[in-house]
Amino acid sequence: MSKLVQIFSSRRTWAWPYVLFMALFVILPLILVGVYALTDIDGHFTLHNFAKFFTHSEAIQTFLYSLMIAVLNTLICLLLGYPAAYIMATADFRTPKVMAMLFILPMWINFLLRTVATVELFNMCGLPLGEGALLFGLCYDYLPFMIYPIYNTLQKMDTSLVEAAQDLGASRWQSFWKVIVPLSMPGVYSGIVMVFMPTVSTFAIAELLTHNNIKLFGSLIQDYITTTDLLNYGAVLSLVLLIIIGLTSFFGDHDAKEEGGGLV
Amino acid sequence: MRRLLVICHLSLVVCLAAFAQSQVNYNLRVGTTGEVKVLQNFPETYAGEKVNVSIQHSAFTIVPADGLPYLEQLDYVFADQPVYELGIWGDSIYSYTDESEVRWTLWRNHREIKNRAQRVRAANAYKTFESYVRTHTSVAKRSTGWIWLVFAGMLLAAGIVYAVVLILQRRKEKCLTPVEQEMLRRKRVSLRRHIGSQAYLWLLMVVLYAPIALIAVFSFTESKILGNWTGFSFQLYANLFSGKADAGLNSAIIYTVVIALIAAVCSTLLGTLAAIGLYNMRARQRKIVSFLNSVPMINPDIITGISLFLLFVALGFSQGLATVCIAHVVFCTPYVVLSVLPRLSRMNPNTYEAALDLGATPAQALRMVMLPELWPGMLSGFILALTLSVDDFGVTFFTKGSGGLETLSTFIYSDARKGGLTPELRPLFTIILMVMLAVLIYINIRNKKQEEK
Repeated sequence: MSKLVQIFSSRRTWAWPYVLFMALFVILPLILVGVYALTDIDGHFTLHNFAKFFTHSEAIQTFLYSLMIAVLNTLICLLLGYPAAYIMATADFRTPKVMAMLFILPMWINFLLRTVATVELFNMCGLPLGEGALLFGLCYDYLPFMIYPIYNTLQKMDTSLVEAAQDLGASRWQSFWKVIVPLSMPGVYSGIVMVFMPTVSTFAIAELLTHNNIKLFGSLIQDYITTTDLLNYGAVLSLVLLIIIGLTSFFGDHDAKEEGGGLV
Repeated sequence: MRRLLVICHLSLVVCLAAFAQSQVNYNLRVGTTGEVKVLQNFPETYAGEKVNVSIQHSAFTIVPADGLPYLEQLDYVFADQPVYELGIWGDSIYSYTDESEVRWTLWRNHREIKNRAQRVRAANAYKTFESYVRTHTSVAKRSTGWIWLVFAGMLLAAGIVYAVVLILQRRKEKCLTPVEQEMLRRKRVSLRRHIGSQAYLWLLMVVLYAPIALIAVFSFTESKILGNWTGFSFQLYANLFSGKADAGLNSAIIYTVVIALIAAVCSTLLGTLAAIGLYNMRARQRKIVSFLNSVPMINPDIITGISLFLLFVALGFSQGLATVCIAHVVFCTPYVVLSVLPRLSRMNPNTYEAALDLGATPAQALRMVMLPELWPGMLSGFILALTLSVDDFGVTFFTKGSGGLETLSTFIYSDARKGGLTPELRPLFTIILMVMLAVLIYINIRNKKQEEK
């Protein structure tokens, strides 16, 4: 009994239930994705599903198209979001905090509802749904994720560095490119990761914004994984996505999501 | 340069206005409804009558104005469409084919039809039907042009105001000394920059909030379809609160709340304990556990959902409320851990030991020493978990099983796929928006007060 008390009074052990839980519900499932990808329906080892992916032109095309859309969306978000974050972080108006908050608020509203609202807006304005609507909707959904980290890094930036650059004779433009942009790169990286990863794996948004006329990789995975006899092939597709995600998170800041997590 | 700007501005205004003009037209988009007077025998029985047309993803629904259902009469509208024919069955117009499955996808997804010729024919059938409706009925003109006219007007007004200000300034400038002129010029440049950046922010804000505002505004009218203003009313709110709304919506709301509460409570408890444990670990262990903690945050929800789905399939769990709750705890807990950790590093690590030395049991020490210190972190973790859980779609979608369990997100998804949005979702959405706004303001005020302390 006293030994038990000793174990529990050592606070290190308090994380054990969590570690156990995570091992069971995070690590094991991820391993299972690989296992399913490497087996057939009867559970025998096979590479057939991988071979199928590389010869399945629809899957490859959808995959490349999704990548393109994701890159494009990330780029648009960056181009739109950086100036906004910059303005908010540097402007000397009275309510930058409120402004930043207003930009983040849509993030906390169900993204499906926002997407449906976008569809309705397009209908109301008489604009056709399609690729344009898809990009608008994606950008609309993920722009806050780009603005927030950039705003954070810019706000924490030491402004005396900019002043120093200007004192040393740099023009506004020069000091922006040579001082501000390099200093804000961590924020830009985490913004890119936070926009790119959900965009490349999105599945419901594309369906709603294009009346299912454009299929993204996420929808393809969903189609296969919910069909019982194609489940293993779906696992292969998920694995492909997982690899992309892994690569992105290595490229980006490791605690990219932590910044998003610290929103409250 | 200035002349070019003026020309650009004016041509943009003209373009918008012209676009607005072209938008005053029939609008046969999905989701359109309106009263229609049948000019010719559209369906024969309706000639000369007024009917309501509602265009959904899968079907054109036609209901006579007197509301009597039109039962089981089969009419071929287009005999010249050999494969995809459009007919009236019951009170709906369908396109159908021998492969009955294609019917659903016909208008929603031409691309899903593999055969190219068939696809073209399907698309043509749709077009023919559309033009048929346009020429044979007077579909209620839902003019969307006014929005664009408003844009054009606003743009023009802004341009005129700017020009007037500029001219006035120029006049004032003429009677100044060169030095004063230069100072004024500089002042104006910085002012222009300020106005430009502010305008950019506000423009972005308007675009970001336009869809949200649209839903919020249309929560105060009764019409089934968004975009049709049928007078101010609180009916939808009343429906929502009296439970008169769609049964699916009611159960979805209840499930969402129940799941969010269970997930938030579980993940707060688990996460707080984990954070305390993590904080007291040695560096290497700590690294491993933090990595483990970050995995669910890095994983996009579709991967989390699919991997859990595979786990439940492999273990033979029947999917339902329990699996959804587990899944939500999985992706909520890391955020709780992260919001409790900073609190831990702020508190004096020796107080807990001191409590033990003074004879408290670990449970007592936890309750009386740790909890009061960790409380704010736990609370923000709890709130974060709640919002994450309510907001989640991807994970829920894959773990909810096929037992009819729907949360708000999945309900919206299936609802939107069917073509329309249950009207009561609009007031619900507005309320959520307001609550979120209130919570954010509250947190902001709290943070500010803490900073002042």
